[in-house]
Amino acid sequence: MTTTPLIGVSKSILKIKELIKHVANTCLNVLITGETGVGKEVVAQNLYAESARSSQNFVKINCAALPETLLESELYGYEKGAFTGAHKKRPGKFQTADKGVLFLDEIGDMPMALQSKMLHVLQSGEFSPLGSDQEYKTDVWVIAATNHNLEESMKKKMFREDLFYRLNIIKIDIPPLRKRKEDIPSLIEYYFRLYKLEYPDNKGTRPDSDILAKLCNYSWPGNVRQLQNCIKKQMILNSWEKIFEELTQEHPEIAPPILKENQQNGTQVYINQEFSNARTSIISEFVDLSTSSDKLFEDLSLKKIKKMASDKVEKEVIAFVLEKVGWNRSRASKILKISYKTLLYKMNEFKVHPPA
Amino acid sequence: MVDSNKILIVDDDEDILSTFYEFFNSLGYEVKTAEDGLEALKLLKDKSNFFDCLITDLVMPNISGVGLISIVKKEYPDLKIIAMTGYGDQPGALASEAKADFVFFKPVELFKIENKVSELINHKNDKQ
Repeated sequence: MTTTPLIGVSKSILKIKELIKHVANTCLNVLITGETGVGKEVVAQNLYAESARSSQNFVKINCAALPETLLESELYGYEKGAFTGAHKKRPGKFQTADKGVLFLDEIGDMPMALQSKMLHVLQSGEFSPLGSDQEYKTDVWVIAATNHNLEESMKKKMFREDLFYRLNIIKIDIPPLRKRKEDIPSLIEYYFRLYKLEYPDNKGTRPDSDILAKLCNYSWPGNVRQLQNCIKKQMILNSWEKIFEELTQEHPEIAPPILKENQQNGTQVYINQEFSNARTSIISEFVDLSTSSDKLFEDLSLKKIKKMASDKVEKEVIAFVLEKVGWNRSRASKILKISYKTLLYKMNEFKVHPPA
Repeated sequence: MVDSNKILIVDDDEDILSTFYEFFNSLGYEVKTAEDGLEALKLLKDKSNFFDCLITDLVMPNISGVGLISIVKKEYPDLKIIAMTGYGDQPGALASEAKADFVFFKPVELFKIENKVSELINHKNDKQ
């Protein structure tokens, strides 16, 4: 694995570099936080590269990209026959990362049930694959990353407090690029050289001082990854003007990337990834995404999903209104603007009943 | 003249640091302070075997108190460590697991901490 260096001259980047040197050989759990695109994986790679584990595996898993059951079997592995389709034994990431590093990306999106299992492994250093009674010892250095504010998630009971404190032994917070503008020139130079080496025939020119000033003043909601994509684009387009045009169209003001709507543009991969995670979790409410694509496509029907989704929302709204009016059905039907009869029918269909 | 006891206090709250500094200083301790775990670790590396006791907060940026305790207990096993936390049971339990010599839950009276510091240091000196 080639390690991307941590580029920057800002105080925060220098401090992170110093911190990496001091903790790389401690094997204490690390939590890396920061917005999408700031370089959390780059920091994880640097920790690994500086550590005595660098000759062992660096295993990465994205906790947001997989549905719960699939994530569990990826992490812990399974025995033959553990579930339908488990034709042979398969090792999990905890096994392949043994003596090395396990990078848990998007840990903030890990479902609660898996969080408690993760806590058990971190406490005991032991795990058992699905369908197995045997406990295996594992010696992994866990580095976790998230763009969520886990303190907030804990308040909302979406992230376990005990898991948070166990991961948060070393905390590395990477500030967004707009808060460390002094890093922008060296990042531009780094990626410019990198792409020039990769594509020596490209004619893209470096920014002059005016353009550089503009680039430094831009808010970079997609952080380093967005800047990196811009440099790549410049190699092909060789027109800073066009690049600025696109930047200002896409992000007219400083706004966190999550607020931006899904865009089909190639430079917006970082946004699409976030949406794709959110998308997967919405879809998995109605369809079992863990099955093979053939089976998945067989089960998938837009009409069916539409009905399931609208039923789900209707049921919640009806229950909500009924609770608010003390189960007075006649009042509820007026509020919902449906007939009394329809309400009774729907209550029956969705099994909405007053508390006994 | 007897050498004064040397302590290192680590907390990301400046007010707490200065209060502790004044208090322990007035009782004749030689006090150094650090605002986070990394600063503390650097001080300890610069002056290895200088300090008698480390008093650390637990929830801090970069190297947390629990992280600091784990590293220090490995590298400087003779150094006595007192942990303080205002974040409920979890960090305190982790500090004990990392082998802190004593854990205080905030708010805590300064005299109580001082009693513990002197008890730990005396105990250590008796053993030597």
